[in-house]
Amino acid sequence: MPRFLPLFLLSCLAAALPAAAVDFSHEVVPILKKHCAECHMGDKKKGGFSMNTREDLLAGSENGKVLIEGRGAESLLIQLITSVDSDEQMPPKGTRLTAAEVQTLTAWVDAGVPWTAGFAFKKGAYEPPLKPRRPLLPAASAGRENPVDRILDAHLAKQPGPVPAPLSDNAFLRRVYLDLVGLLPSPEQLTAFLADSAPGKRQQAIALLLNTPQPYAEHWLTFWNDLLRNDYAGTGYIDGGRKQISAWLYQALLENKPYDQFVRELVAPTEGSEGFGKGIKWRGQVSAGQLVPVQFAQSMGQTFLGINLKCASCHDSFIDRWKLEEAYGLAAVFSDEPLEIHRCDKPTGRQAKASWLFPELGQIDASQPPAERLKQLAALMTHPENGRFTRTIVNRLWHRLMGHGIVHPVDAMQSEPWNSDLLDFLATDLADHQYDLKRTLALICSSKAYQSVAEVLKEDADRNYTYAGPRSKRLTAEQFTDAIWQITGAAPRKFDAPIKREGSAPRPEQALAAKWIWSGDQKAKAAASGETVSFRTRFHLAALPQTASAVLTCDNGFKLWVNQKEIARSDQWETPVAVDLLDALRTGENEIVIVGTNGGQGPNLAGLWMQGQLRFADGSLQTLNSGPAWLWNSAVPRSDGLFTPDPGHWKPAVEVNGAAWQGINDALQALLVENANGGGPMVRAALMKSDFLMRALGRPNREQIVSMRPNDLTTLEAMDLNNGQILTTRLETGARAILQKQAGAGSAALVSWLYAFAYSRAPSPAELALATEALGSPPNAAGLQDLLWVLLVQPEFQMVR
Amino acid sequence: MNPLPLDSTQPRRDFLKKLAAATTAAMMSRGGQLIASDAVIQPKATADAVIILWMAGGMAAPETFDPKRYQPYEKGAPMANVLSTFPAIDTNVDGIKICQGLEHLAQVMDRATLIRSCVQPDLGSILHSRHQYHWHTGYVPPQTVAAPHLGAWMAKVLGPRNPVMPAFINIGQHLEGHGESEELKAFTTGGFFGSEFGPMNLPVPDEAAQSVRPPKGMDAGRFENRSALFRKLLDQNPQRDIISDFQRESMLRSLENAHRLLSSKERAAFDISLEPKESQEAYGSGRFGQGCLLARRLVENGARFVEVTTEYIPFVHWDTHSDGHATVERLHQEIDRPIARLIRDLESRGLLDRTLVVVASEFSRDAMIEGVPNSTAGDQATVKGDTLESPQHYGLHRHFTGGTNVLMFGGGMKRGHLYGATAEERPLVAIKDPVSIPDLHATIFTAMGISPKTAFDIEGRPFYATIDGTGRAVRDLFA
Repeated sequence: MPRFLPLFLLSCLAAALPAAAVDFSHEVVPILKKHCAECHMGDKKKGGFSMNTREDLLAGSENGKVLIEGRGAESLLIQLITSVDSDEQMPPKGTRLTAAEVQTLTAWVDAGVPWTAGFAFKKGAYEPPLKPRRPLLPAASAGRENPVDRILDAHLAKQPGPVPAPLSDNAFLRRVYLDLVGLLPSPEQLTAFLADSAPGKRQQAIALLLNTPQPYAEHWLTFWNDLLRNDYAGTGYIDGGRKQISAWLYQALLENKPYDQFVRELVAPTEGSEGFGKGIKWRGQVSAGQLVPVQFAQSMGQTFLGINLKCASCHDSFIDRWKLEEAYGLAAVFSDEPLEIHRCDKPTGRQAKASWLFPELGQIDASQPPAERLKQLAALMTHPENGRFTRTIVNRLWHRLMGHGIVHPVDAMQSEPWNSDLLDFLATDLADHQYDLKRTLALICSSKAYQSVAEVLKEDADRNYTYAGPRSKRLTAEQFTDAIWQITGAAPRKFDAPIKREGSAPRPEQALAAKWIWSGDQKAKAAASGETVSFRTRFHLAALPQTASAVLTCDNGFKLWVNQKEIARSDQWETPVAVDLLDALRTGENEIVIVGTNGGQGPNLAGLWMQGQLRFADGSLQTLNSGPAWLWNSAVPRSDGLFTPDPGHWKPAVEVNGAAWQGINDALQALLVENANGGGPMVRAALMKSDFLMRALGRPNREQIVSMRPNDLTTLEAMDLNNGQILTTRLETGARAILQKQAGAGSAALVSWLYAFAYSRAPSPAELALATEALGSPPNAAGLQDLLWVLLVQPEFQMVR
Repeated sequence: MNPLPLDSTQPRRDFLKKLAAATTAAMMSRGGQLIASDAVIQPKATADAVIILWMAGGMAAPETFDPKRYQPYEKGAPMANVLSTFPAIDTNVDGIKICQGLEHLAQVMDRATLIRSCVQPDLGSILHSRHQYHWHTGYVPPQTVAAPHLGAWMAKVLGPRNPVMPAFINIGQHLEGHGESEELKAFTTGGFFGSEFGPMNLPVPDEAAQSVRPPKGMDAGRFENRSALFRKLLDQNPQRDIISDFQRESMLRSLENAHRLLSSKERAAFDISLEPKESQEAYGSGRFGQGCLLARRLVENGARFVEVTTEYIPFVHWDTHSDGHATVERLHQEIDRPIARLIRDLESRGLLDRTLVVVASEFSRDAMIEGVPNSTAGDQATVKGDTLESPQHYGLHRHFTGGTNVLMFGGGMKRGHLYGATAEERPLVAIKDPVSIPDLHATIFTAMGISPKTAFDIEGRPFYATIDGTGRAVRDLFA
C-alpha cells in the first residue's frame, strides 16, 4: 500500500475523535522527543520501533503492538517507561520519566492516541504518485476562469499575503515575447499592441506567437539543446563519439511534434534522433558508471522523468529509492551486448536484465533484440498511465515561464510539489490534448497568474518556497544576444546549426574565383615544413560596405588580421573558415595581412586561398580574392598584426596549382554560398556555436544535461560585459548600423525608440533628459554605443520581469 | 611598477583568519554546499598561492628532468637504443642531474623538490585532452557532473586572496581555433561550482593588460562617463523602488566588482610592459616566458591560482610526434630561463615559501612504448622505423604514462630534494615511490591548507577534492 494513503485516512480519523484530554502538540510531543528520540525517531528504529508517525507508533515493534488505543495501563509503552527491571525499562539509560510525564502519556493513550493531522516527528520520505490524477477544479472567483487561476486562487486563499497585482500591457508584451519566442517586441509591435483596445488582445498575442513556427522553434531550441545536450561543437565530436540531433530537433519543433511522439523518437530513435541516447563517448576506457548504456539510462531518467540515476548507476542511491539493479536494468535496454553490473566500478559478476523503472505499467521483454526493447521502452515511457512523464515536462515548462518549478529543482521529481493539484492538472491536460506542448504554454500564459507582477525576491527566496506570483528570470545568453541583434540589426548572416532553415536557401552558385598562392614556385620545389609566410593586400574604400565577408583556408594554418585586428585563425585547413570583415574595415586605406604556416614532416605543398566580397549600399560589389596581385614576405608581424620594423621587400605572391586541394572545393563552394546569403529572417543565437560572450552569459557547455541555468550574474561574467571584446564590437557596429538606419532622427526620438525596444516602455522625463544629453545632438556613434551599453547592462534589460 | 603585495606584510595569523572568513563566504555562495572537510591538516600548510607551469602535450621526462643513457644522433643507430637525446648535466644539488639545455634550472635545483615517479592511469587510448582533464580536475572524463578545475577548487574553498583580483587565472591557452579546443574547454571551467569560480582566461600575456582596461577604442574618460551614466540612469529607473529585488541587487554587485578591478591599482599587474627592461629580457619574448612574468606580477598582487601553459596545440610544442629532439631543444630555451628567473624573483620578494610552483605535464614520452608496457593504446608516432634514418626520427615520439616528472618549488616543499625514481633501462617506469594524480593533488591541496577530503554536495551526493577523498599528501615532500 502506498505510504501516503494512511496519512489521508488519519486526518479523517483525527477529525472524528472527541476533543482530546491532553494537548498532543504541547504536552505529548515534548515528552516523546525528550525521552525517545534518540532511538525511535527520524532514521532511528531500534527494535524495529519508530515513533515518527501515528501509523508507525501503532504498527509497534519487532515484538508486536506497543500501544493499545484507549487503554493506557495495558499498553507496553506505559509498562516499559514505568518498569523497574533494568533489562526492559525504557529509556534504557539516562533520566527516567517523571510521574507527571507518565501520567500525561497514559492519559494520551487512554484518549485514543490523538495526533495532529499530518504531523510527523520526521517527515516520511515523500513518494510521488505515478498515475495521472485529475483534480477537481475549485470554483472560479472574480471571473478568473483559467484552470491555473482557479487552482492558484484557491491556493492563495489559504495562505496569508495578497494576490499578485496584474501586469501592465507593456510588461506583459515583453514577457510573453521573450518567453514564447525569445525576442523583444519591436517598438512598432508594442505601439500596435498598446493601441489595440480589443479585450482579447493578450489572448491573440499569445496565439500569434505560438503560431509562428520559426521564431518559436528557434527559441525553444535552446531549452531542448540544454536538455538533450545537443550542440554544434563540443567534446566528443572530434572522433565521432557524439552525434548531433540538430536537424531532427529543429524540424520537430517547427512541426510542434506531439510530446509523446517526440519522446518515442528519442527513446527508440531514427537516424536523426539517435544522438541523444548514444550520449558522449570519449576515446579510451571509461568508468563503468559512464559506459554508453549507463549514460543512456541516466539521460532517459533525468530528461523525461526527472529521476537522477547518477547515484544509482554506481550503487544503491542514498538519496532516493533507486537501486543499482534498476539503473542497470534501464541501461541494459539499450545495450547491444551483455552488460555486467558494476558496483562502484568493480564487477559484481551479475548480468543486468533489461527492465524499466515502473513495472506497475508493464515490463520490457529482455529476450527481445535491442531495437524492439527500445520500442517497448518508448511505449512504457509514454504510457497513458505514466503520470511521471507528463508531470516532468509540464513542470519544466512552468519553471521556464514562472521562474520556479511546481516541483523544484525540476530534476528532482521525487520531491513534493507545492501544489499537487496544479501539477496534476497541467499533466493530465497535456495528455488530454494530444501532448501539445504549445497548448500547455498557452494555458499558462493566458492565466492571470502568469499575467501578474513578478515577486520581489529576498535573499533566502529559494528556501521554503511560497507561491507569490511569477519570478523574474535572467535573460538567457541567447535572448540577450538576439535582443542586441534585434536592436542593432547587426546579426550575423550565417549560422552554425546544421539545419534546413526557411529563408536561408542558397542563391545561384558563386564561382570559385580566388587563386591558391604561396611564396615561391612550388612546381619545382615544395615549401619547407614549418615555413611561415606573411601575405598582404591593401585596398581603398571610399565608403564602408554594408556587408563584407570572406571564406578562406590555408594548408596548414593561418592567422588573419584586418587593419591590425585579428579576425580569425585556424590550423584545420580541411575545414575552411567564413569570416565577417565588416567590423574591421574603415574608409580610406585598408590592409589585410595573413600569416600562413606550412606543416608536415618535410617539404610539401603549401597554399593560401581566400575569396572575399564587399557589398555596398548601391548594390555594387568588390572582391577580395587571393592571387598574384597579393604580396608576400618572410617576416612575421607582432600579435597585433603590425610589422615592426617594416620588413620591406614585399614580393608578388606566386600562384600554386590548386589541384592538390580539389577535395575541399565543395566545402569552399558551400561556405561561399552560405556566407553570401542575407535578407532572410534574422539569424538567431540558438543557431550559433557558443562564444565567449554567450558562455559568460550562462550558455552551458552541453556535456551534461542542463535543465536550469544559473539565474545570477557573476563577477567574471560582469567583466565580459564591462570590457569584453565581443560585446564592445557588437555595440560599436550596432551603433553605426542604427545611425545609418535611423538617419535624421533626433536624439530624443532615438532615445524613446531605444527605450521602447529594450524595455518596452517610454523613458521617464529624467531618463529622457539624461540619455539625450549622452547621445549628443545630432546623435554620434560613440555616444550611441555607450548609451546602448548602459541600457543593455541595466538589470531591467537583463531580466524577464 | 613598484610591486607592493597586498598582504605579504601581514602576519601569518591574520592570513589564516582571513582564510577562514573566505572559506565561510565560499560556503555560502552557489554551486554546491560544503559538506566535508578535515579541520586538522597535516603537514601544516604554508602556501597561499599556486602557480602551475603546464608543459602541454606531454613533456618527456628523459629529455628534461630525468636524463637516461644519452644516445647522440647517429644514422642507422637502433631506435631501441634511444632513451635520452640530451646528455645529462650537473645541477647545484649533488646527485640530481638534469638534461643539457636546462642550465638555468640546474642552478635553482637547490630550491626544488623533484618528483620522478608520477604515474598516470592507462586509459586504453591516448587522448591528450582526456589526460589533461584528469590532471586538472582529478577526474577522468566523461563525468556525470561537470568537474571543477584545480583552480576552481582553490577559488571556491579559499576565495580570492585579494578581493579585487580574480582568484583563478589561466594564461597562455587559446580556447578556440584548433583541433581539441572543445575538449580543453571541458575542463577549463568552474564546473558545477559555477562560472564565479571559473578561470579568467588570458591567452596572450602581452595583451593581458587589455582585459582590465576600458574596451579598445575607448579612453579612460569616456569609460568613466559611461559608468557614470549607468549609475545615473539606474538611479532614475522608475522601477528602482518597486524592484529592490535580491536578484537585481546581486547583479549590480557583480557589475560593481567588475568595475572595481578596472579602476584598481592591481590592474597594473596585468601589464607586463611596466616591468623593468632587465626583467623583461630575462623572461624573454616567448609567450611562455612572458606568461611566467605575468604570473609573478599577478601573484604579487594577490592572485590565488595561476596557470601558465606552453599552450596545447595538437602535434605542436611538447606534443612531439616527429623531430622531437629539435623541438625539445627549442622548448628548453623557452622554459629554462623564465622558470629559473620566476623562482629567483619569488624568492627575492619573500614569496617563494608561500607560493607553490608546480611544473607538470599530462604524461611523459618514450621512443618505443605507447602508454605503458602492454597497453592496448595504439601507436601514434608519425615517423616509424627500427633505426634512426633521419633527424626526424630522433626524439621521443610516443606517449608514455609509466613515469612522469613533476618539479615543485616553494610553498612549503623541501629544497634540493629528489623523490622517487624510474628504471635506468626501458621500460622507464617508476620503480620507487610512485605518485598518483590523487596523491599529487592531495599534496597540492594540503600545501594550500585544503583537506583532500573536502567535499561539496552536488545533486545530493558528495564530490571530493580528490576522487572519493582518497588522495593522500606525500608527506616526504614537505619541509
